[in-house]
Amino acid sequence: MVSLQHPMPGPALPRRALLAALSSLLLPRRAQAFGDGSRFVPVVAQHGGHWNARLSGLRRLAWELQRRTSVEVVAEARPLALNARLFDFPFVYFGGEGDFPPLAPAELETLRRYLTYGGFVLADANDGSSGTGFDAAFRREMARLLPASPLQPLPSTHVVFKSFYLLDSAPGRLFTHPQLQAALIGGRAAVLYSQNDLAGAWARDEGGDYAFEVVPGGEAQRELAVRTGINICMYALCLDYKDDAVHLPLILKKRR
Amino acid sequence: MTGTDSTAWKLVSLSPLPGWALALLVVAVAMGVGLAAAGLRAEPSLGRRSVLIGLRTVAAAAALFLLLEPGVRTLQVARVKNRVAVLVDRTASMGLPAGPGAGTRSAAVADALGRIGPGLKALEDRFSVEVLGFEPALAPVSEEILRTAPAAGTRTDLLGVLRALRATDTGGSRKLSGVLLFSDGADNAELQAGMSTRASAELAGLGFPVSTVQVGDSSLLDVALENLKVDDFAFVRNAVAVEVELRVRGLPGRDVPVVLEREGQVLGTKNVHVTGADETTQVSFTFTPDQTGRFVYTLSAPVFPGEAVTENNTRSFVLKVIRDRVRVLLVVGRPSWDERFLRGLLRQDANVDLVSFYILRTSSDDTQTRNPERELSLIPFPMEEIFDAKLSTFDVVIFQNFGHSDPQLSIAQYERKLEQYVANGGALVAIGGDRAFGDGRTSYPILDRALPVDAVGQSASVGPYRLHLTAEGQRHPVTSVLPTGTASLAAWDELPAGSGVNLVRAKPGATVLLDHPGLLVDGKPAPVMALWEHGRGRAMALMTDDSWTWAFTVHRNGDPSRLYDRFWGNALRWLVRDPDLTTLQVSADPPSVEPGTPVGAAVTAREADYQPAAGAEVTVELSNVRDRRVVGTARATTGADGMARVSFPPQPVGAYRVRASARSGERALGEAEDAVAVRTLGPELTDATVRTDLLGALARATGGKAYRLPLQALPDFPLLDPPVVEVGRSRDRPLWDRWEWLGLLVTALGLEWVLRRRFGYV
Repeated sequence: MVSLQHPMPGPALPRRALLAALSSLLLPRRAQAFGDGSRFVPVVAQHGGHWNARLSGLRRLAWELQRRTSVEVVAEARPLALNARLFDFPFVYFGGEGDFPPLAPAELETLRRYLTYGGFVLADANDGSSGTGFDAAFRREMARLLPASPLQPLPSTHVVFKSFYLLDSAPGRLFTHPQLQAALIGGRAAVLYSQNDLAGAWARDEGGDYAFEVVPGGEAQRELAVRTGINICMYALCLDYKDDAVHLPLILKKRR
Repeated sequence: MTGTDSTAWKLVSLSPLPGWALALLVVAVAMGVGLAAAGLRAEPSLGRRSVLIGLRTVAAAAALFLLLEPGVRTLQVARVKNRVAVLVDRTASMGLPAGPGAGTRSAAVADALGRIGPGLKALEDRFSVEVLGFEPALAPVSEEILRTAPAAGTRTDLLGVLRALRATDTGGSRKLSGVLLFSDGADNAELQAGMSTRASAELAGLGFPVSTVQVGDSSLLDVALENLKVDDFAFVRNAVAVEVELRVRGLPGRDVPVVLEREGQVLGTKNVHVTGADETTQVSFTFTPDQTGRFVYTLSAPVFPGEAVTENNTRSFVLKVIRDRVRVLLVVGRPSWDERFLRGLLRQDANVDLVSFYILRTSSDDTQTRNPERELSLIPFPMEEIFDAKLSTFDVVIFQNFGHSDPQLSIAQYERKLEQYVANGGALVAIGGDRAFGDGRTSYPILDRALPVDAVGQSASVGPYRLHLTAEGQRHPVTSVLPTGTASLAAWDELPAGSGVNLVRAKPGATVLLDHPGLLVDGKPAPVMALWEHGRGRAMALMTDDSWTWAFTVHRNGDPSRLYDRFWGNALRWLVRDPDLTTLQVSADPPSVEPGTPVGAAVTAREADYQPAAGAEVTVELSNVRDRRVVGTARATTGADGMARVSFPPQPVGAYRVRASARSGERALGEAEDAVAVRTLGPELTDATVRTDLLGALARATGGKAYRLPLQALPDFPLLDPPVVEVGRSRDRPLWDRWEWLGLLVTALGLEWVLRRRFGYV
């Protein structure tokens, strides 16, 4: 059984132009970090499949991250091939719709090294598939990529569910799989995988409206999907900070 | 050595017959007498019967005499001259006064030896008299030595001494007939707690009586600090407990303060009110060392007029303060990749205890929550707790891109605390970013005093650049990420390009390790990393927020690099003054010495690349911490292993610091220091008590007697008699081979025969 929180709905949907204008007004309110490399940049991995279905979702997530937290972002999705350039950006979104061809050995090697040395991959089945389509292809590649670290369900006690918002589950555009899957390296979740099309809930269309309906929870679920995205970014940036002993009593109290 | 010879004699049988044959003959002769008596039972005349039996008995006796062949054996004998040992306690407690206003206990023994001298001389007719001192090793001692050479033994072990003396008893002339022991009985070994059953049994088995002579007056006025209990080492910023017993004798009703100091700095005072005439009070101190290293601590009580011993009013000990884990406080202005990789590194380092606080949102951030308390995992920034109450518990405080002006996030009110924390020995790291170094944000002018750089008041310079390792950086342990300067330089050169720097200028005295080769501040390359010492603490500034690329981006081509780990490892060790990260080390060897013992120090010098500095000129100064006066200077040259050892003459009781400096040619190799205590007292002088009970028990256990000074003459103390032994050949003179004995036999038998015929028995 899936439980949903009902936070305050997000603001009214602005038009794309309005969003761009707002971004230009809001984002510069802070001093700039030293170049893009020091800021959070949502990099989108290019692969042989339909990898660019949710670029607007990534832009929106970065925008929300900037709006809601103290993190400095580059509010644009930056497509990158799986090569050495990845090492300029420790966060990569790996999404897609449907099957995609196997990664090249060099790509696998790069990605493996990327994850080993601290990189983070958020994988997202934009097609909401399970056992077919993107899901089957991604699991196939993960078995090649990290054979010793298979994907496993992430319990709701994991720090990613309290890295900024207090959450119980990780809904996206869909809510067929309440929990995330993770591949752990040295205790760190180096790969988080959602089959709920997280970015689908964040994505906007050309007109600035949300691009997809969110089912079954509607706008409340969309807000939770955004919060899940924020928490995932915070986890990538802060690791297990919220598992520090200093936080535990207060968080436990809040969860009661 | 033997006594006078003499002659002794005894009757012996010279018969060659074996003993059993002689016994049979005796029986046969006795039966002959018996048969004669039996045959005369019917004789009515008592006279006749008596005469006949008497004649038979005489004949039997004569026969036996002839058969046993008796003779006289003469022997030359002598009495062995055994030993008598006069043992004199030569341990340090014998240097204490024998009584109020009296001379030392050793002097009292010397007086006594003078008086009992004639008695000992008289004993020499029968014994070898040896006068031995023990400290605790046995050695001859004389009245003169007792008066001129101070007693200096460090341990009174009465049972051990008697064991050692017994080992010299090899029988014959080495046999001991008795011991006369002069001592105050202040045993601090096996008999410290009194006479045990086992010790008593062992004493009884010595085989000679030990008589004791108590030296010293058991009633005295004294304040003593005894039984100090403290560990040899402690962890920095962790409480240390010190316990000591204050024993006060002869000062009822007085208040006695006990003071704990660290090299002249008073750490605490406890006042003890004394009610009894002989009272022992447990005094405890707790303090928290705030620096690593070796320090001399001193406990002291005031000296009162007329005290028997003044030296036991002070106790010093050396405490080595070490680090448990490096406790790091990481305060982050905003989540970033720089923070993420530093956190990852610190969290996986088993030697680091990380406490971190991140500003995840500010008041201008809109979290889109209706009930932030329940929907957010955020906790209030506990500034008061970490920057006031617990600041001193951290070894290193790292501010990473932190410079909030928001009143809820500003640390302005804790600036002075933080600056003082560094000045008092803490460590501070400031890492750059858009909120750091006054980059258009709030600056903290007081805290900035602790930093090695000043912000120039301009925005950060953004744009790619290559890091440049300065000449100082090539030598400094923080940036020496590889064994040689050249290798380190190459490692830094291979790092990805930086993306920007906060614009600062290095303060005078700061060391710039990394700079921006293409950007000048005040005509010098803009510092990227600088460090210095502020007061007793250290501070480092890193004017960039992209050091994470040293940990991550550097791996993009698959080349292994441990630079980031090594850099931060080195930095933390330098910041907390890890002794292994200094090019010059000095250690007092040993860390505490007894009065009269030379003070030694071992110096290890290393080059900047941490190779042994052979042939370096080392100068070591010894100074008294109380008045900071240099009491000795020694110079040495290091060997091939970079080590040198120096020694200073014995110093008076107190705490000293050893400061070393070294040069290799024109180049200074650094400075180092350590502490050494010339300890006021060993166990000997902590207690001026005279142990009357122990000396009495010892005498009783061995069959001796207990006496006390003064002695007017040698007492009649128990001694075992020396045994007598043959010293010449024996000579036998037969008694039986005379005709008179044969004639007696024949006459008695013949007369018996004649009378028997006359009385009608034949």
